[in-house]
Amino acid sequence: MKLRLIALAGLCALATGCATNSPIVGGNVQYGDAKAVETVTNEFGSTDLQMMAEAMTRSMLQSRVITRAKERPLITVADVKNKTGEYIDTRAITNSIRTQLLKSGDVRFVTDIADMKAQTDELARQNQSGLYKKSTTAKMGRMVGAQYRLEGEITSIVKRTSDIKDVYYKLSMILTDIESGTIEWAEEKDIRKTSRR
Amino acid sequence: MLTGAAALVLSGCAGVLRSHDSEMSVTLQSAMSGQVDKALEILESNNKFDKNFLYFLEKGELLRLKGAYAESRDAWLSADEFVRQWEEEAKHSPEKLLGNIGAVLINDKTRRYDGADYEKVALAARLALDHAVLGDWDNARIEVRKMHEREAVIAEFRAREVEKLKEQAEAKNIRTQVEDLKGYPVELLNSREVTGLRNSYQSAFGHYLAGFVYEVSGEPGLAAAGYRQAIELRPDVPMLKQALAGLDRRVRRPNPKFTDTLIVAESGKVPALKSVTIPIPVPGPHGFQFVPTSFPTIDSIQSGAVPTALRLENGKSVDLHGVTSFDSMARRELRDNLPGIIVRGTLRAIAKGAMQQAVARNDNTGFAGLLMMAANFVTESADERMWRSLPGQVALGRALLPPGKHTAELMTSHGPRRVEFEVKGPYSIVVLRTSELGNVFVAQAVTPEIAQAKFVEPKPEPARGKRVKPAAKPVTAAPSKS
Repeated sequence: MKLRLIALAGLCALATGCATNSPIVGGNVQYGDAKAVETVTNEFGSTDLQMMAEAMTRSMLQSRVITRAKERPLITVADVKNKTGEYIDTRAITNSIRTQLLKSGDVRFVTDIADMKAQTDELARQNQSGLYKKSTTAKMGRMVGAQYRLEGEITSIVKRTSDIKDVYYKLSMILTDIESGTIEWAEEKDIRKTSRR
Repeated sequence: MLTGAAALVLSGCAGVLRSHDSEMSVTLQSAMSGQVDKALEILESNNKFDKNFLYFLEKGELLRLKGAYAESRDAWLSADEFVRQWEEEAKHSPEKLLGNIGAVLINDKTRRYDGADYEKVALAARLALDHAVLGDWDNARIEVRKMHEREAVIAEFRAREVEKLKEQAEAKNIRTQVEDLKGYPVELLNSREVTGLRNSYQSAFGHYLAGFVYEVSGEPGLAAAGYRQAIELRPDVPMLKQALAGLDRRVRRPNPKFTDTLIVAESGKVPALKSVTIPIPVPGPHGFQFVPTSFPTIDSIQSGAVPTALRLENGKSVDLHGVTSFDSMARRELRDNLPGIIVRGTLRAIAKGAMQQAVARNDNTGFAGLLMMAANFVTESADERMWRSLPGQVALGRALLPPGKHTAELMTSHGPRRVEFEVKGPYSIVVLRTSELGNVFVAQAVTPEIAQAKFVEPKPEPARGKRVKPAAKPVTAAPSKS
């Protein structure tokens, strides 16, 4: 009887272990769903980043400037400006938006300011070091200029009392036609989070 | 049995009777007079058998004064292990740390020293400086990130601690307030500089440094947050606002002919904690009785004034702005911790009083009672442990300097002091530390191979009314072995 009970308990443990999506790796460490809602604190977190990037990408891909373009528009992106007092890695937001837009296949990106030095260094290395076969080197003066400039900023309003903290984040983005200077698309995504002690 | 307990209390307290302040006073006197090697020897001889958190903090600072940045970094990384252990406990098992609030029978010094909050944060900032001086900006970035993440852990933990403390005080009916400590020099903790701080651990210096390091890393989004935090902490300092205002321009169009140089001018040292004994009312079998109990207070002497400017060889000056006072932060830390210290002191007084009475009832000879009183007297001493070699004040200046060697005069309260330093690359950090004796230690951001410290001998004070002459030629200390 005792043996049966132990076997049953073992089976139950196995069954519950299989049912979970978060396999236990060792000690207290476990893998979780990277897309799961994170509410550990009300500071800017992974869920906010994903929500903002997805909302911006969806809106931009549905805009006329993309849907009615004859050719895939060429865009340069600037890092989202951080106008909050919080250490938010805005490059991660920028990169997420760029990656999702690229994966859609509807737009192309040129090298942005942050990566320009690495790009020009590589061109110079191929053309000026004398180490490369001429026929295989990337030619100077062939970089393509962007038609549009994508930029944005994130702001926040924080209010707190002794037991409540309320945070409001707003990400605003615009797409500007570089030649004409006209703004072709703009979007805002806001998030509000309140926590109680 | 009670006699045994009294003897145990008395005999098991060798560590409790140790005075970090006394040990470090001698050590720092040597260091600040330029004898850093001797200071290191004293530190080692005082800590032969106990390489604890404070030992590594002090060692890192002394090695930095010596110019041994790699060794300083390693000592501080060892200290950082202790803080990381505390952080793990604060995040995942805070009840373990909070359980210690009232669990001290003998003396606060028997508690593990986890460091003051401002020390934990300052450690990350100083590690970032060491990495930057060694040219390792990637690891400097890791440290500044650790710094602001650590601040969040501290904020969360302290909020819990306050709640726990309230529960503890209510459960034991402890109503003693700071104002009830007759004779306690509360005015040392109530100056505008202390009460005006947001808390004891966030500093404009730390956040400006974070902004600078993120800017070096080409991350203006994070740099902006650093500068903005610094501005919020010290809205009265225009230099901090200029850093944020010019950030986009500097990132978009860096000036390749110049090195964007951050001057960090440190002066003085944090004031020492001292022990004062004050009788406090504790509940006993016959109503309240006054029991002498020790509390920490802080030295009244303010740390030295900050240098005002760095006059360069071309006649131009870089203004230095006092942005952070570890002196005030240490006072604020004590001010914020006093309620907890009072609860622990009262619990200790109750326990000691009860033990003393029990001994008196069961001891016909009176010997055990005397022994218990002696034990209580000897062990009753406030916790005075703190990072003593930390500077008292930090001033910042920023300028575009031509790459290469520079000779400048640092305007200190002891008169001008001549310093030499070298800057290179797009960004550099130069750290200057003046002592209360008028010495200047220079840490410059150069490659590890030539990283070295320059120690400037002081000159006698010029007579009043006479023109101030430049200090003596700098003496180059031995290169570091990094």
